Amino acid sequence: MSADAALRFSALQGRLGGFIGALWAQHPKLQSLAPEGLDPPRRVNFGHGVIRVPEAFRGIPPDAQSRLFHAALAHAGAHLRYTTARLLPGGLKPLQIALVSLIEDARVEHLAMREFPGLRRLFLPFHVAEPAHGALVPALLARLARALIDPDYADPDFWVMKGRAMFLAAAEDWHDPAVSRRIGGLLGNDLGQMRVQFDAKAYIVEPAYRDDNLGLWVPAAAPPAADSETILEAARAEKSETEPPRGEDGEPDNQPANATRPADPGDDTGMPIATYPEWDFLIRQARPNWTTLRAYKPKPGDKAAIDGIIGDHAPVARKLSALIRTACASRPRRLRHQAEGDALDLDACINAAISLRAGEMPDPRIYTRVERRIRDLATLVLLDVSQSANDRLPGGLSILALERAAAALLGEAMESLGDRFAISAFCSNGRHDVRYCAIKEFAAPFDDDSKRNLAGLKAALSTRLGAALRHAGAELARESAYRRLLLVVSDGEPSDIDIGDRRYLAEDARQAVQELARRGIDVFCVGLNAGGGSDFGRIFGRHRVFQIDRIESLPEKLPQIYLRLTA
Amino acid sequence: MNLLDHRIAAEPYYRPLGGEITLFEAAYASRMPMMLKGPTGCGKSRFVEHMAWKLGKPLITVACHEDMTASDLVGRYLLDSNGTVWHDGPLTRAVRHGAICYLDEIVEARQDTTVVIHPLADDRRVLPLEKTGELVTAHPDFHLVISYNPGYQSVLKDLKESTKQRFAALQFVYPDAALEAEIVAHEAGIGLTDARLLVAIGERARNLKGHGLNEGASTRMLIHAGQLMARGVAVEDACQVALILPISDDADMRAALTAAVAACLR
Repeated sequence: MSADAALRFSALQGRLGGFIGALWAQHPKLQSLAPEGLDPPRRVNFGHGVIRVPEAFRGIPPDAQSRLFHAALAHAGAHLRYTTARLLPGGLKPLQIALVSLIEDARVEHLAMREFPGLRRLFLPFHVAEPAHGALVPALLARLARALIDPDYADPDFWVMKGRAMFLAAAEDWHDPAVSRRIGGLLGNDLGQMRVQFDAKAYIVEPAYRDDNLGLWVPAAAPPAADSETILEAARAEKSETEPPRGEDGEPDNQPANATRPADPGDDTGMPIATYPEWDFLIRQARPNWTTLRAYKPKPGDKAAIDGIIGDHAPVARKLSALIRTACASRPRRLRHQAEGDALDLDACINAAISLRAGEMPDPRIYTRVERRIRDLATLVLLDVSQSANDRLPGGLSILALERAAAALLGEAMESLGDRFAISAFCSNGRHDVRYCAIKEFAAPFDDDSKRNLAGLKAALSTRLGAALRHAGAELARESAYRRLLLVVSDGEPSDIDIGDRRYLAEDARQAVQELARRGIDVFCVGLNAGGGSDFGRIFGRHRVFQIDRIESLPEKLPQIYLRLTA
Repeated sequence: MNLLDHRIAAEPYYRPLGGEITLFEAAYASRMPMMLKGPTGCGKSRFVEHMAWKLGKPLITVACHEDMTASDLVGRYLLDSNGTVWHDGPLTRAVRHGAICYLDEIVEARQDTTVVIHPLADDRRVLPLEKTGELVTAHPDFHLVISYNPGYQSVLKDLKESTKQRFAALQFVYPDAALEAEIVAHEAGIGLTDARLLVAIGERARNLKGHGLNEGASTRMLIHAGQLMARGVAVEDACQVALILPISDDADMRAALTAAVAACLR
């Protein structure tokens, strides 16, 4: 079974993606189609930048499966490259559509083979149609497909040979997609006059490496593409599941109207775990025990959503793992001027000799050694999940979805670096209810539970940043590490329902940052408001803010910022 | 000292891609420090050798590494029987005797190390030797060239702004297919048809840059493959040995490249 599993699409996906990328300089997303049951055999299907490949092809010997996958992707890639525009079905009959598709397949394959002659060896073995297979339409089509591609194949059928002659005669014009339509249409007329029966519903494209042709055509009002379009819809639905449902309304948080908004429904009240002072910049004094921080249990979501995010950002993840490898590799450091070590430090020796001759006491630290520098580092990532994080970007993703993607990728990066880290999220509903939610604690591994917590994250309410900073700082302070890093990801300035003055909470947050700095905790902020004009510089210090103009790039940027901060 | 060892006797082969030779000569005429940017194996070092030969100046190359200290560039005191004796480093030798000093892969060196070139790379053209207290004024022929590959690691390693802004830069890229085939054919001693095939194969690996590979196949790699072919190795094997195996440790990427190479072969 394991040998069988090694030949399935999901096991080969990485190399197949590389294969199509190398040949065509295109990097479509590859998806697996569930293995067929007793349904008709499945074919590759593509469209909208995604190629969907059956998990396994039925009736193909195991040793040919891998070649078949490669042939299938080479063929789909040839379409992506040479089928420049989708065809319009117009008034074409199903048989003509099948024929035009068949000619189009042969056309792109020939163009591909002009560029990559080796593809012929890949395609040909799967063309096994021969006259003995009969003269029903599917057999005729398969024979024609073979005749068009295999120069050594001879077929007694007049129609097949006529098709080949027409196709080869047009060799000069193969670069023009109109060729397929012309030849396909003519051949379809011929078959039509022979009054042969064609069952479009039962027709399966042969040979097996060719796609189902649905990606070639603009879907008609009642498309024969129904089956595959539902797959596409399913894929879309799956994708949107990774995003949270949009909040009921898009009011900004610092509006007094929010005061009447009912507290987050369905969320049980959190356990108060700490009170913190709050700095009032008008009286220049901290109000003691002013805010109450409540711990909320994270609601586990669907872990697949996070795995999906990591999958969606696979190129970013790969780039990151390369970065991480270099970060790890550059860790050994030569320590000079050491009291003990495995080699003499020449410079120190010379200084010692000079001192000796000058009659001074030489410095005994004359050794050098190479040491693997340990990253003695504890990081807490604090995510702002106030209502504004539900805002959608032009691309359709919400800020929260991007925050989660970024946190997931960063978590993966930190886990593979072996750094200690925690991820928390906060929002607030007045000073008595600053909500703090530990997604991953320092002691816990970044495992399925943490991913589920991350997936279940919802955005609501306001941003009382100062209190959250103080609590995150207190958590970090418990970690004994040479360097303690608090990384805040926020999309807007602090606000809350019981505060009217914009400056009040900003000044409080600024005070909190300064308190943490005095305790040796570095606070950095990743700001997500593309519009600019925020108080982040004032709160965190200008050099401690990374403004991200294109919020879409957050998943890529956040781990990079982290690596730069800790390199 | 006339740095005889560092003079280049025979012309190193270099096929210009654009106006880089003229530009470099103009920059050399005013001794403007030059930065050569571009991916690995695209001909930066060969270009410097060629220019040193063309200008008739000695060339001192330093391969920078992350453990390099300023003393490795500038020099250090050594012990001898009478006491200590100062020994010039490669940079100081170039400054004193008028050579082109080529610091290869400068980002690899730590940032505090690269600062020593600052006074040399502006109009002062001096090198202060901290340990001896000497201020070495650069020889009129001295010219500073660095190479810099802003690759995927640039997040972790980058030049300081103050270093970057002292240099004029030439961008190097992999040559276009026809030119690259010509270069590969010349350097490897194979026919143009074979060289074109290798370049087409190299193109496949370059398509994967950023999608599994950190860097595409360099011209140097293609030349390596070509050299193996010139010794009678079959194309598949030459590509496997000189290209696919070195470029990635990822089994999937290697399998993908092997399949792509097979597709390119007749």
